[in-house]
Amino acid sequence: MRLKSYEDMNLQELDVMKEISSIGTSHAATSLSKLLQKEIRISIPEVSILGYEETVERMGQMEELVAATLVQMSNEVNGLMLFVFKKDMMNAVLEKLIGKCYDSFEEIDELAYSALEEVGNIIICSYVNAFTQLVGVEIDLSVPSSTVNMLGGILTVPIAEYGYETDKLMYINAEFIMDGVRLSDGLLMLPDIKSLNSILEKLGVVS
Amino acid sequence: MTEKDLKVGIGDMKFTRGGGQIITYALGSCIGITMYDPFLKLGGLLHIMLPARADPNDPKIFKYADSGLREMIRKMTAFGMLKSRTVVKIAGGAKMFEIRGNADFGNIGQRNATMVKKILMEERMSIKAEDIGGSYARTMLLDVGNGDVIIRTAGRPEKHL
Repeated sequence: MRLKSYEDMNLQELDVMKEISSIGTSHAATSLSKLLQKEIRISIPEVSILGYEETVERMGQMEELVAATLVQMSNEVNGLMLFVFKKDMMNAVLEKLIGKCYDSFEEIDELAYSALEEVGNIIICSYVNAFTQLVGVEIDLSVPSSTVNMLGGILTVPIAEYGYETDKLMYINAEFIMDGVRLSDGLLMLPDIKSLNSILEKLGVVS
Repeated sequence: MTEKDLKVGIGDMKFTRGGGQIITYALGSCIGITMYDPFLKLGGLLHIMLPARADPNDPKIFKYADSGLREMIRKMTAFGMLKSRTVVKIAGGAKMFEIRGNADFGNIGQRNATMVKKILMEERMSIKAEDIGGSYARTMLLDVGNGDVIIRTAGRPEKHL
């Protein structure tokens, strides 16, 4: 394997990831727009390779409560996709879907939880579809799993899962603009290192 | 925060003497281990992420339960810690996500806990108190003045170990 870790990617390879993320983000915006019956605009996503603490800092604070949905990928690409809802995103979505807003994640009931999981899953699938279409690989997805927990604790899941391979995470940060409000879309896109190599190979990225 | 408040990141260890606090935030599947020698008021906190150091050349000693605990004991012993009077408490090892049809996923917390207990037994150190497992993150704090350990979780009252 040529790449041993996410941080080994050169600029050209990072550009490929950015391209995949851009397509994923626009797919996600389209699905979300259909679901919420709202016009949604997006910004060009940033792709960053960050350590655990840097990722937490970018997304919020260690002990901050957030909701997150996790999906496991298998078949030709193995890895994890983790979508994190912050409060503004949660309320923008829930207001449209179930007509309710919440002051904090602690108040979330069963209905809101299911709605968030569904939206998280839809967004993740949009990104995965970008992979399958662009790279031409088959990816199977697990059923989504969600939690409301401290941001720092949630991010230990991917960092521990790949802890024997890398100490870095690939963080995709785009903005959904809905009714003039900017909502940040935080996604961790984590093909395992072997899959990352084969994705880049299939796309013919040679350095 | 006073001068003596220490923050321990993931895969790290810190210890101090006399007073102040040592804190580590949001332990998920990771495990926090505190050691406290009440006679010296010497306290340390280790935050491990994985069970075993597979590569002996890996410089990140405190990332793993086996190498981390041994190094912690070595360092604190050099500062006078006696195993026989040292109080050990552990917290963390949660399973944050449950994936249906894949029971093995996210079992790392449990594997970490098993390894921490195994190493401590080999080192002949008993665990005084633990708060392990569940599906939620924990913040762990050691008061080096009196050896008190506080566990903070979202939506639950603070717990003293």
